[in-house]
Amino acid sequence: MTVDMAYQYLFTGALTVLAILIGIILVRSIIGPRITDRILCINMIGTLVICSIAILSQMLKEDYLTDIALIYAMLSFLTVLILASVYIRRKDPKQDVRENLTGGDPEGSPTQKSRDEAKTQAAGESAALSAEDTVVSGLQKGGTHG
Amino acid sequence: MGEWIRFWIVAAILMCGIIAFIMATVGVLRFGFVMNRMHASGIGDSLGLGCVVIAMIVASGLNLASLKLLLLILFMWLTSPVSTHFLSTIEINTNPFIRRHVRIVSDESGTVDSKKGMR
Repeated sequence: MTVDMAYQYLFTGALTVLAILIGIILVRSIIGPRITDRILCINMIGTLVICSIAILSQMLKEDYLTDIALIYAMLSFLTVLILASVYIRRKDPKQDVRENLTGGDPEGSPTQKSRDEAKTQAAGESAALSAEDTVVSGLQKGGTHG
Repeated sequence: MGEWIRFWIVAAILMCGIIAFIMATVGVLRFGFVMNRMHASGIGDSLGLGCVVIAMIVASGLNLASLKLLLLILFMWLTSPVSTHFLSTIEINTNPFIRRHVRIVSDESGTVDSKKGMR
């Protein structure tokens, strides 16, 4: 038994275990009750795929696969970032004020109370909202819900 | 003989990484809340990927590919906490019943937000 055959067996076993783990995490992402569970599982699947590509680059002796692993890591990070920006922008108080001015849809925010609270808060601060400000407003909004 | 020593080193580090991934997967599958699952997922992101890629670096030797793999470890260790932070931001912003699960600490003063009611 040569060293190359031993490497082949080792890498094949590792790739098999990684594939089984991807299947298990896919089950979790299907039964995950909220959207954050699913985003988390997509992130985890991305990590496992990066490891699979890194193992394949040594198994097949193809060095350019490491570049693909790097690009996959960047895309996996960008997915979480863009989804976060979408789901935080939806709770932006300024946007609620704009909907009030133009007579927007009544299904925008959950309650009238939280909308009024967001309006007073947006009137109070003139600077552009950063992500942390929306976190703080989300905290206060969560406090009213109890 | 030297090749076999390198093979056993690679096998040991790779098995450590695979075991870390199995632990992360069991945690993601079994925990009950998203923040706990983020904790379990962080094991796989940092320890699992670090061990597997270090095993690949040992198997590859010193060349340009191992440098890229080192860059991959650096990138994942920098971006995994950032994505976890953004995920928790999504959870706090969208879950109305967040206070049943976690205790939210106020952002400015660093004290526990007790006036708003930890009901």
